[in-house]
Amino acid sequence: METKTKDLWVLLETNEDGTAKNVGIELLNPGRRLANKQGGKLISVVIGCHTDAAVQEASTHGADQVIVVDSEEFKRYTTDAYTAALAHVLEKYAPTSMLIGATPNGRDLGPRLSCRLGTGLTADCTALDIDEASGNIEWTRPAFGGNLMAVILCPDHRPQLGTVRPGVFKKPDICEDRAEVIRENFHVPTNQIRTTLLETIREAAGEIVDLEGADIIVSGGRGVGGVEGFKVIRELADVLGATVGASRAAVDEGWITHSHQVGQTGKTVGPKLYIACGISGAIQHLAGMSSSDVIVAINKDFDAPIFGIADYGFVGNLFDIVPALTAEIKKAKA
Amino acid sequence: MNILVCVKQVPDTNEIKIDPVTNTLVRDGVPSIVNPFDGYALEAAARIRDDVPDTKIVVLSMGPQQAENALRECLAIAADKAYLVTDRAFGGSDTLATSYILSKSIAKVEELEGAKFDAVFCGKQAIDGDTAQVGPEIAEHLGYPQVTYALEVKPAADGLHVYREAEDGKEVIGVQLPCLVTFTKPSFDPRFPTIKRKMAARKAQIAQLTAAELTNIDLAHAGLKGSPTRVKRTYVPPRKEAGVVVKEETTEASAQKLYELLNKAHVI
Amino acid sequence: MENYNPITQEILTELEKAAPGHVITGADVNPDYSRDEMPIYGTRMPDVTIDVQSTEEVAAVMKICYEHNIPVTTRGAGTGLVGGCTPVCGGVVLCTMRMNKILSYDLENFAVTVQSGVLLQQLAEDALKHGCMYPPDPGEKMATLGGNVATNAGGMRAVKYGATRDYVRAMTVVLPTGEITHFGGTVSKTSSGYSLINLLIGSEGTLGIITELTLKLIPAPQATISLMAPFEDLAVCISVVPKFFMKHFRPQALEFFEKEILISSEEYLGKQVFPRKIDGTDVGAYLLVTFDGESMDELNSIVESASEMLLEEGALDVLVADTAPKLKDIWATRSSFLEGIEEQTKLLDECDVVVPVNKIAPYVEYVNEIKQNYDFEVKYFGHAGDGNLHIYTCSTEMEEAEFKKQVDQFLSTLYQKTIELGGQISGEHGIGYGKVHFLENALGPVNMDLMRGIKKAFDPKLILNPGKVCMSLMKK
Repeated sequence: METKTKDLWVLLETNEDGTAKNVGIELLNPGRRLANKQGGKLISVVIGCHTDAAVQEASTHGADQVIVVDSEEFKRYTTDAYTAALAHVLEKYAPTSMLIGATPNGRDLGPRLSCRLGTGLTADCTALDIDEASGNIEWTRPAFGGNLMAVILCPDHRPQLGTVRPGVFKKPDICEDRAEVIRENFHVPTNQIRTTLLETIREAAGEIVDLEGADIIVSGGRGVGGVEGFKVIRELADVLGATVGASRAAVDEGWITHSHQVGQTGKTVGPKLYIACGISGAIQHLAGMSSSDVIVAINKDFDAPIFGIADYGFVGNLFDIVPALTAEIKKAKA
Repeated sequence: MNILVCVKQVPDTNEIKIDPVTNTLVRDGVPSIVNPFDGYALEAAARIRDDVPDTKIVVLSMGPQQAENALRECLAIAADKAYLVTDRAFGGSDTLATSYILSKSIAKVEELEGAKFDAVFCGKQAIDGDTAQVGPEIAEHLGYPQVTYALEVKPAADGLHVYREAEDGKEVIGVQLPCLVTFTKPSFDPRFPTIKRKMAARKAQIAQLTAAELTNIDLAHAGLKGSPTRVKRTYVPPRKEAGVVVKEETTEASAQKLYELLNKAHVI
Repeated sequence: MENYNPITQEILTELEKAAPGHVITGADVNPDYSRDEMPIYGTRMPDVTIDVQSTEEVAAVMKICYEHNIPVTTRGAGTGLVGGCTPVCGGVVLCTMRMNKILSYDLENFAVTVQSGVLLQQLAEDALKHGCMYPPDPGEKMATLGGNVATNAGGMRAVKYGATRDYVRAMTVVLPTGEITHFGGTVSKTSSGYSLINLLIGSEGTLGIITELTLKLIPAPQATISLMAPFEDLAVCISVVPKFFMKHFRPQALEFFEKEILISSEEYLGKQVFPRKIDGTDVGAYLLVTFDGESMDELNSIVESASEMLLEEGALDVLVADTAPKLKDIWATRSSFLEGIEEQTKLLDECDVVVPVNKIAPYVEYVNEIKQNYDFEVKYFGHAGDGNLHIYTCSTEMEEAEFKKQVDQFLSTLYQKTIELGGQISGEHGIGYGKVHFLENALGPVNMDLMRGIKKAFDPKLILNPGKVCMSLMKK
C-alpha cells in the first residue's frame, strides 16, 4: 500500500455501551511520541456504536483527529466487520503506521488485517521507537517465552502494524477536547459477518478475576504447596483490596484456576505492587509481571531468580511472613 | 467431518537457559515438543471424532526434517494422517510468509486427499514465536471465518459452536463451515496415546511436501523474500538491579519492616 | 504408670545448656508436635521441644534425660500414619528438621551421607543432579530420611528396587543412654556380628536416635515410560499382577486402584487425567505400570510385550505416558490419593497390610465382602507389585467413639485374614502407637518377648519413644 500521510493511528476499541476500552487510550501515549517523530498527526480510530463517549476520551487524551465508524453492526466485535471497516479506512487514508491494543479482540483482528493488507504486523510489543535514519518504527517484543527480546522492522510495507498489551503504557495526561472528528459512513452487510454470538456465560461476580486492571496483585506459586495454601494468599489480598494471581506452576497443579494465571501464557500485568509468594521467578512468569512498579518477592530459596527483579525480598517461609504481613496491615488500618 | 490440524515442533521454552558468558540462548539439549496449544487443537478434533465417528483428522507441519517426530506424536494421540512441509526455500519466513505457505499446503493436501476440509484447527500461538498471528493469517489467505481463543468446539447443524474465552467469562460463537479455529488451554488435558496408535505411528509414512510438490506456491511470497517483517536484532533481556532484602530478628518484625517500606514507597 | 519424672526448672536449665537457643517450652510449643498425620490415634502435647542441630547436641540432651528419667520422642516432619512420633507420655520431643544438610557424596562408591532431617524430596532432586537415583520412593515426599529409615518406608518403586532397608549403608545413632555409636559401613555385604543396623531400621525411634545416614544410590535410569491399563473389573485387573513377574517383566512400579479413589483424587486436584470410559465401557479399576531403562529404544520393546500381555489378559486398552508432562500428571494424581480422601472425610483411619502377591485378589474380595457390615466407607489402593494394600476407613457422619469401635473390629478381622494368608500387618507404615495391640495378636507372645528383650538391651530405662511398637503403656 502506498502511504498518503505520515500519521500514526491508534485503534480505540469500544465497549458495547460505546465507552472506550483503556488500552486504546493508553496507546495514545507512545502514539504521540511516534507521530511527532514521524512528522505526522496522532489519529484515533473509533469503531463501535453510539461512540460519543469514546470519541471524547480520545480527544481529551491527545488525539489530533478521531476517525469514527459508528453503526449497529460494530456494537460488538466481530472479525469480519472490524477487519472490513479498518481495512477500508486504512486503504482510504493510507497512514504510515497503526497501533492496536493486544486484547483478545486486538489479537484476533491484527493478523487478519495485516494479511488482508499484505503488510507486516509485530505482536505484543513492549517498546516502540523510531529508527532515526530510516524513519521506520522499531518494534521490540519478547519471544521464546520471554527468554529473548527481538527488535523487528517492517521496512518496505505499509502501514506498519503493531499490537501492544494493556498496561504496558500509562494513559497520557488529560488535555483540551480539541480533536477534529471525521465520521466515516461505512457499513458491513450482516450476511458478510460469518460468526454469531449465541450465548454469553458470565462468571459469577465474585469470580471475575481482573488482573490487568488491578493496582495490587498478590500471587502464589509452587511454594504455596496446595489448594489450602492459597488461603493465606487470599487473606493478604483481601486486606489490601488486591487481586489474587498465580504462577503457571500453581495453575498446572490445579490449585487455582487459569483465570488467575500471570505470565507468558496467562495475563500480562503492570500493577503498582506485585507480591510474589512462593514463586521462583521462571522467565515465563517474569515476562508477565516485570513491568510492575514495585515487586516484592517471598521465597524460602535465596537463589530463586525472582529476587533478581524484586525491589524488596524476604527469604523465608511464606506461611510465616504472609500472615504476619496481613496482621501488620490490619493493625495499621485499624 | 474432515479436520486439518496445523502443528509446530518447538523447543520446550520452560527448559531454555541463558548462557551466562555469551548472554545468548542455550538451545542444545533443550527437548523438542509439540507446541502445547497445537496439542489442545488436536484434542479438540479428537473430541469431535469421539462424537462423530467418521471424522478424519490430518495433521500438517512446516519445519525441518526433525519435525517428523512431532507429527508422529500427533499420529499416536489422534491423527489419521500426517504431512510435513519442508524446503530450504521456506526458511526465514515471517508469519505472513509462513501462513501463505501453509494455506497453499492445505489446498494441496485437499487435492491429494480428494476432499475438502470442513475446519482448520490451530493452537492460538507457538511458545517460541509467541505471535499468535499465523492462525488468523491462514484464515485470511483461505478466506475462512475465524474464531480465536477457543476452549471447546461442538459440531452443530449450521457449522460449529465454539466456546471461547471472553474478558469476563465465556462466549458461545456459531461459525459456518469451512472455518478456522485457534485454541487456548481448556480445562482438560490432551488424551494419552494408546499402545496400538504408538506402534502404528512409529511405522507410519509421513508424506513430504517440498517446493517441487507445492506448485501452487509463488516463491516470491515465501522465505525472507515474502516476509514484510524482519528481525533487526535480538538480545537477552537485562536482569534488573537486585533490591533490598528484609531480614529482621522475628517474623513479626520483618512484616513490620516490609509494611513500612511499602508504605513509604506509596504502594500500600 | 511408667516411672517418668516431670521436667523441673533445674532440668530445663540443664537442657538449655546442652542445646542453647533451641529449647522451647510452655506456650511456645508448636501444637503440631502433639501428633502426626493420624490424630485419631491420640494427641499429647510435649512439655519441651528441642530443635536439635547436631549429633553432639542430641547426645547431651539424651544424657540429661536418661539421668533424670525423662521420656524422649524423636520427630522428623511429622508425616507418619501410626502415631509413631506422638509423645504419649509427654516429656521432650526432639525435632530433627534443622539437621537438613546433605553432607557429602561418595560417587565412586555410589553413596551419599546426609543428616537425618534431610527430606526425601530434597535428596531425590539433589541425587539426580549428580546423575544418581535414590531408589526408595515412599508416597510422602516431605518426610525426613530419618523417618523413612525408622519405618523402613517402601513406596512405589519397591517392587523393583526394594524398600529403604536395602539402601542404608551406615548410620550414626545416639543411644537412649546418651552414647554416640556408629553402625554399618560403605560395604556391599558383611558378616561381622549381629546386624545392629538392621535392628534400627524399622524400629520407629524406639531403640536409638538416628542423626546421620549413609545411603546407597544407583545410576539414574535414562528413560521412563508409564502404561495405564484400564479394566472393567477390579478382580481381572489384580489377577494380571502376578503375570508380570512370571513373564520376567521388571516394572519399576506397579500400582492398582479402583475408580472411587481416583474420582476423589481428581476432584481434589481439580483435574481429570484418567479416562472414565473406553469405547463405551465404564472403567472399574486401573493398573499403572512404570518401566525404566537406559534408553527409549530399550523400553519400547518391553512396553510393547507388556502391553500385549495386558490386552490379552483383559485390559480395555493400554495408554502410554512417555513425555514429562504426561508422566507428571498420572503420578501426581496417584500421589494425591491420600489427600483426596482426607479432603472429603472427617474421621479417618487406615491400615497397610502386606500379603503375598498372588493373594491380593482373594484378599481384596474379602475386604469387599466384610465392609458391608460397617457404617463407614472403605477406600483402598495398593502397591500391587509387592502385595501391599492401603485400606482407608472414612466417615463424615459417624460419631467418633462409635467409629473407633467399629474400625477396631474391622481391622482386627482384616489383620487376622492377613496372617491367615501368610501376610504381615504393616508393609511400610509401621506399628507406632496405633497398631501396638494388633501386633501382639499377630506375632504372639514368643516373638513379642524377643522384641521386648531387644528393646530393654538398648533402652534399659524405657525412656525412648515409650508406648510404641512392642511396648504398650502399662495400664493404670
